[in-house]
Amino acid sequence: MVHIDNVSTCYLNKEILKNISFKVNERDFLGIIGKNGVGKSTLLKVLCKLVKPYSGNVFIDCKNINCFSKKEFAKMVSFLPQYLDTSLSFNVFEFIMFGRYPYMNALKIPSSKDYIAVKKIMNFLQITNLSQRKINELSGGEKQKILIAQVLAQETDIIVFDEPTSHLDIGGQNDILEILRDLNENYNKIIILTLHDLNVASEFCNKLVLLENGSICKQGVPEEVLNHVDIERVYNTKVIVEMNPISNRPYIIQVSKNLIA
Amino acid sequence: MINRKLLFIYLLMFILLVMTFLFSLMYGSNKISFIEVSKALFGSIDIDENIAVIIKQIRLPRTIMTCIVGAGLAVSGCVFQAILKNPLADPFTLGISSGAALGVTIAFVLGLSSIRNFFIPFCAFIGMTISVIIVYLLSVRRRFASKTMILSGVVVSYIFSSAAMLLFALSPSSSVQTAFIWLLGDFSNFDERLLPFTFVVILVSIIILSLFGNVINTVCLSDEKSKTFGIDIEKNITFLFFTASIITSATVSVCGIIGFIGLIIPHAMRKIIGTNNNMLLIPASAFSGAFFLPFCDTLSRVLFSPILIPIGIITNIIGGFFFVYLLLKSDGAIQNGAYR
Repeated sequence: MVHIDNVSTCYLNKEILKNISFKVNERDFLGIIGKNGVGKSTLLKVLCKLVKPYSGNVFIDCKNINCFSKKEFAKMVSFLPQYLDTSLSFNVFEFIMFGRYPYMNALKIPSSKDYIAVKKIMNFLQITNLSQRKINELSGGEKQKILIAQVLAQETDIIVFDEPTSHLDIGGQNDILEILRDLNENYNKIIILTLHDLNVASEFCNKLVLLENGSICKQGVPEEVLNHVDIERVYNTKVIVEMNPISNRPYIIQVSKNLIA
Repeated sequence: MINRKLLFIYLLMFILLVMTFLFSLMYGSNKISFIEVSKALFGSIDIDENIAVIIKQIRLPRTIMTCIVGAGLAVSGCVFQAILKNPLADPFTLGISSGAALGVTIAFVLGLSSIRNFFIPFCAFIGMTISVIIVYLLSVRRRFASKTMILSGVVVSYIFSSAAMLLFALSPSSSVQTAFIWLLGDFSNFDERLLPFTFVVILVSIIILSLFGNVINTVCLSDEKSKTFGIDIEKNITFLFFTASIITSATVSVCGIIGFIGLIIPHAMRKIIGTNNNMLLIPASAFSGAFFLPFCDTLSRVLFSPILIPIGIITNIIGGFFFVYLLLKSDGAIQNGAYR
């Protein structure tokens, strides 16, 4: 369980997050949504101990994250940043092996256990055929899968993604999100991610946090959070909110302002 | 299958190393046959006294020195390229050379060199240590962001070389020339007493860096990613930076600044072995540096014999052409970073 308690951060004397508090329970698939630059990524980084809040605390299983050693923490929370330099010409197998670093000794020499773990993950994601390919030669969708494999190799209970689907086509997006859903439902992973696509957020997340100007505007199930009053205000645009007949989750259509006037 | 390929590469490198070693012993201002070389090496009695002296006291120390310096520069270049995340980095990117230049210039201008020969390498070493520490202190505040490190290196480099230039301008021309030639990189009159010391320092550093190959991999990744793997990236960079700097300073103290080898060998090795496994990349770079430099050194003695040309000229020409070849062979690869 993750508990974010009254967290505020600032960058260059400008407050980014103001008094953020929420809880993430076991088996949650939590989406963080909001405008560009509202502090979504910063919030994730606070969670992953990459940004230090100037006030407030983050607790994992009732223990303050500052009390964990670097290695201990790396075995509990894994993070997939929004931009990752994948231009290095490592091959896929070696790249995924980086995820095993928290389990290795000081010289970072993989043991047979690490090899087995990586192979298992590659089977699970059906990327065994890519094993010897160079990562800088892969397509966007394949790369994203490799990055997820790397994160999975870390074997953490909490996985944090910063916009895992941002530059994939809708087929690729669904591939990735179905994997995340599978991990969440069948492997008891807590998934925390930021998303731009509200429809995707609605379909896959069981809980949403909507940020506005660095504080939480609304949190709860998608049906509550994705109402057209809040969305229109936060995103400063006109939308129509309808119901998806199959999943019974809300979906959102943008409308051009001139058409309404 | 991969292991067989690597075994082949290592075997090939070892053979090349032995061959260059012999080549370097046999050729020079006058050629000495293989049989006589081996006789001299294994202390046979029926051999011309002069030849034994040439082999044992002139060519052997020089060849060993070029081997270890070549290996050291290649490895240190490899490490600097990783910590600076920049394929164009080399052992001298962070201004070590200008530190050495200032130290040496001071030694010559103050006339320390005439008191004792040992003062020149000593002053070079002091100059380099100061420049390395300044770059470290400038970078540590920004958590070793590669841009900050490179900029600090450039700034230190400018300040130190301007100071050296100032001394040049103010001092009598004869000492300037000797200082300048010393800096160019030269194996013809290094202090033989330094050989064992340099050899041990460089060899130990190379062995340590080879063992830490996978740790070097971690610093190539983005900072955020490495941190979420539970890696103390700043500690790792500090360790690698100082170890590589020690190698570089050891080489410069003995034989001046020898360019290009620290840039070209890591590139070539990445091309052959792959970026991926620094565990193999470091030893492979060491090996190829160890045969490339003695090879160039021998050429510098033989090509325009009896005139000895500075070794830097040979390494730069061969390295330059090799680089052009790599560029033409895989254009585009450098732009999208495949070389890292």
